[in-house]
Amino acid sequence: MVAALFHPLNIFLLGLGGGFVIPLLYRLGKPWLHAGFWLALVGIVAVCAVSYAQLLQGAPSIEVLTAGSLPPVSINLRFGAWEGFATVSVGLVALLGALHLWDRLKGNYGALLLYLILVMGIDGMVMTRDLFNLFVFLEIVSIATYGLLGLERTPQAMAAAFKYIMATVIASTLFLLGTVLLYYVTGTLNIDALIAGRAQIAGPIATAALLMVLACLLIELKPFPANGWGLDVYETAPSGIASLVSVGVSAGVFFALMKLLPLFEGQLGVIAASGGISFLFSNLIGLKQTKVQRMLGYSSISQMGLMAMALALLTEVGAEASIPLVVGGLFANHLFAKPGLFWLAGVLRQDDVEARTSLAGRPLLVALLALFMVAIAGLPPFPGFWAKWELVLQLTASGKLPWVGLILIGSLLEAAYMFNWFVRALQPAEVRSGRGPDLVALLPIYGVALLLVACGIIAARLSGIAALWIFAPLATGVVLYALDGLPGRVKNVLMLIAVALVGFWLSESTVGIARLFAAVLLPGGLVIAAAGLYRDDPRPGYYPMLATLLLSIPALLRSSNSLEFFFSWEIITLSSCFLIAKSRGAGPHVLTFLLFSLVSAFFLLAGFAGIAALNGTTDLSALLTSGQDTAIAFVLLAIGCLIKAGAVGVHVWLPGAYAEADDDFTAMLSAVVSKVAMFALLTGTYLAILSKVSLEIAHGVAWVGMLTTIAGALLALNQNDFKRLLAYSSMSQLGYIVTAIALMSHLGWVTALYLVANHMMVKGILFLAVAGIILRTGTREFGGTGGLARAMPVTFVLFTVAIISMSGLPPLMGFGGKWLLLSAMADKGWNALAIAGLIATFLGFLYMIRLITGLFLGPRAAGQQDVGELPVALLIPQALLVAGILVLSFYPKLLMDPVSAAIDPQFASTLVWEGMSLYTIYGYWNPIPVMMIAVGVAAVLGVVAWFFYRSGVHRSGHRARFYGYYRALIARTVPPLATWFWAGVRDVALAAAASFRRVYTGDGQTYALCVLLYFLALYGVSTGLAGFWIAA
Amino acid sequence: MTTGLPVSTILLVTGFCLSLIGIWGMLTHRNILRIIIGFAVMDTGLHIVMVATGYVTGGTAPIIDKALSKAEAAQRAIDPVPSALVVTAIVIGLSVTAVMLSYAIRLYAAKKTLSIDAFTESKW
Repeated sequence: MVAALFHPLNIFLLGLGGGFVIPLLYRLGKPWLHAGFWLALVGIVAVCAVSYAQLLQGAPSIEVLTAGSLPPVSINLRFGAWEGFATVSVGLVALLGALHLWDRLKGNYGALLLYLILVMGIDGMVMTRDLFNLFVFLEIVSIATYGLLGLERTPQAMAAAFKYIMATVIASTLFLLGTVLLYYVTGTLNIDALIAGRAQIAGPIATAALLMVLACLLIELKPFPANGWGLDVYETAPSGIASLVSVGVSAGVFFALMKLLPLFEGQLGVIAASGGISFLFSNLIGLKQTKVQRMLGYSSISQMGLMAMALALLTEVGAEASIPLVVGGLFANHLFAKPGLFWLAGVLRQDDVEARTSLAGRPLLVALLALFMVAIAGLPPFPGFWAKWELVLQLTASGKLPWVGLILIGSLLEAAYMFNWFVRALQPAEVRSGRGPDLVALLPIYGVALLLVACGIIAARLSGIAALWIFAPLATGVVLYALDGLPGRVKNVLMLIAVALVGFWLSESTVGIARLFAAVLLPGGLVIAAAGLYRDDPRPGYYPMLATLLLSIPALLRSSNSLEFFFSWEIITLSSCFLIAKSRGAGPHVLTFLLFSLVSAFFLLAGFAGIAALNGTTDLSALLTSGQDTAIAFVLLAIGCLIKAGAVGVHVWLPGAYAEADDDFTAMLSAVVSKVAMFALLTGTYLAILSKVSLEIAHGVAWVGMLTTIAGALLALNQNDFKRLLAYSSMSQLGYIVTAIALMSHLGWVTALYLVANHMMVKGILFLAVAGIILRTGTREFGGTGGLARAMPVTFVLFTVAIISMSGLPPLMGFGGKWLLLSAMADKGWNALAIAGLIATFLGFLYMIRLITGLFLGPRAAGQQDVGELPVALLIPQALLVAGILVLSFYPKLLMDPVSAAIDPQFASTLVWEGMSLYTIYGYWNPIPVMMIAVGVAAVLGVVAWFFYRSGVHRSGHRARFYGYYRALIARTVPPLATWFWAGVRDVALAAAASFRRVYTGDGQTYALCVLLYFLALYGVSTGLAGFWIAA
Repeated sequence: MTTGLPVSTILLVTGFCLSLIGIWGMLTHRNILRIIIGFAVMDTGLHIVMVATGYVTGGTAPIIDKALSKAEAAQRAIDPVPSALVVTAIVIGLSVTAVMLSYAIRLYAAKKTLSIDAFTESKW
């Protein structure tokens, strides 16, 4: 009985029956009409869901026979795993979509009828096993779409609908002709019979027929450049209808393509190329688009292109086992995220990205928007992330590297325009656009968001993520978010407790160097996060996000395979990005930060994929044993880490993000988050040690690190904004760490960890102090500060300790780090690097002196007579960090011994060295000459600089003028090449987008012609020019 | 009446010609009504092609009765499937034409013109 009630055939009974009954119900009254509609729609979805559930429990695929006879005489339909997945997910979106559209649908029996028929038609396209029947369902879907597009009566919408009809009738005519010709050649319309007799489908007519069917399906997926008609509909249709076209209709067509794919085994390359071109160009052109729905249209088209490409490529390389995860993941991702965005744009009535409808102050809407954006960009924890990971891994393993590049570039472009919308929506607006949307309007959007999350978890399981701890940071964030109504300081304390508990639990299972990083970064992060207590405003969403960020770090350190590592890496990127976006001034810097982070992540992804392709495993421990060919993978990983570390040339994201983030969060970014890249570099460097080729590359990395240090110092010296100065100083100091890692010797690595600990504490103190100074004085410019030593003596002392430790002056730990570094370089024979290091140290002194004198010495700035000491909440974390510096300065063994023990034993053979104190190491290394030379060089450089300055201006050495002179000199001699370069890249991309989108003239006939030409091109590419001759 | 060519060939050629004329009309005429007529012509041509593919020269109607036994049907009867398909295709073509015409009415009401040049607002 139940089986009969939920038999898949009932989908069509409900759809068609509902279609017939609805006009009658309309006569009875609206309640009847609405009840009938919902009954039918819910019925369809319930039938799909129950049947799918039975399949998941191991029941065999359901064959639906018709007309009392067996196929191929009669039409049959199949409800298997794929069909179940597609129909259930489309059905759920259709249900929520009907809710979203309810204002337009209710009372309009024509629209209700069409809606029902549309959903049924899509299910039919997915299920049918008969080619002509597929055509019929395609037309049912098309006609229902045409009708629903008529819901919007503006001239633009009607014109767009007409263009859509013109293009799609040509496509479906091709399908019809292809179907008839296939029947003519093979004598059957049954898809299974056609596939079984694939070998017989040869000769000019059969080939042309197959290509016609393929062309129709590809064109219905709206390939570039034959897709202007689709874009116009996305732009002008009501958001509910546009979303249905984007996900529902496309899903039907896509699964039809998937079902027929065995027929197109000779055209896999063409399908992949068609999808790839659409993916790349749609995302490129999307950059120029500001109309929200049209932009979402570009994104929809690109996603369909990506899916088609993934399907064809995976089939081509024989990785069919990955198709459920990749195609299913991408499909679910698009299916739930895209309607969410369309509906959100609809309920906000936002038709242009530039429109001043700000979401600032509406945290829930911001969270929803962010969630969908993250999903569309293929970031964790959503299904698109797992799918892209698997796709890239499989393609790399098969050597399809250009495709990997295409996927990554396209994804980056897509993230650029999608997040551009997000960042603009966050900007505070002058006028709030009235009352926000009500709960009922948001209900469907919450629905798809939940479905998206659920699919993310399922996809994670499919990817082989067995351990649930990987989700602990996100889960903690969600729990804290539920408590977001509490007062700010209470939330902060709760966050600290949660991070301490969960973080300790997570870091318990870390080993080796990761354990050391955890031991340094987790307490450091907690101390710096505690400084947030100086603010008592609620900071909605800040603390949950911070908890996620801080916990993702131990989660990353705990990773045992590269997928877990990459997952946590992306979560760290995302949570930092959203935390930076919390600041009002962050605006455009958020986007820059995110894009550079994504580029960095993509390099890591490519690197990990390369290693997995070589080793056959994603296990991180395999890095140790990999062979000679890992040089390229190492370069990719190193580039990824260097971008994230703000290395010279790709540092342009760093100053803006650091300077514009909330003052206390900058401390976190610089002190703690930046170290994640250092850890990744250290991990990746294992690769380089074992393959000798990479040693030269490591030398290159060392130079990049050193140049970063010098460039950072020069740029820092050139700043008038002291927070920005510290940002550049961070960049400079990270350069030292990069150099130390790249030394790839035991001593280099000990140094790197020593520098990591030192930099974390130093920058924590400095940025927190600066946060307090900005709080007290209200300025970030040197011009507005001075003489604060008397006003804030405690801060002055703590600040000075930090500066001394950073500068590398004895006796604090920075001294140890610097000399260890120089010794290691000298030991390795990298003398030029050592000399560059000395110059960098000298430049470092200059800006550090400027920082101290500009803030604390000299005369008080006007109007700051009553400025007092910093809040205790800021002083205590600084004091704790100073205590840390002192302890490690005088008991270096506390750090050195575990570091030395943690470094891989086989690697330790480069140096016989037992846990000696710092001074003993100096004795062992005989650093006295190095030290003497270094101090001498620095002194000589100082004197030279002084004389140079004196001879240049002939003025007494007033400090401000002294710096003013050099800053002018630096500004002239060090042009902002990197900024120019990246601005150029951006302009070229935008110009390319502007020229490519000229194909969309708005003329319906041109679009129809494009469709025809697309078929001819497809035909020409598949058969060669000879095809035109023979066919004629 | 006999011609040198089989009927199916004549139908095929006519059908393809009509289809090409139809699509040519869709792509060259700026008037929306003419575009719709172009579609109708193309569709009709296609229907003729479909019928022609099922034709067997010298065949008879596929009605199995005293005049045509089951065994004979395989040789002498024309293939009924394309004819059945054509009926469906005609219905679909008719609905699409109807939808297009209704859009034409609304477009005309909006801009008082049927030239497709007037409907290029959405672009890029």
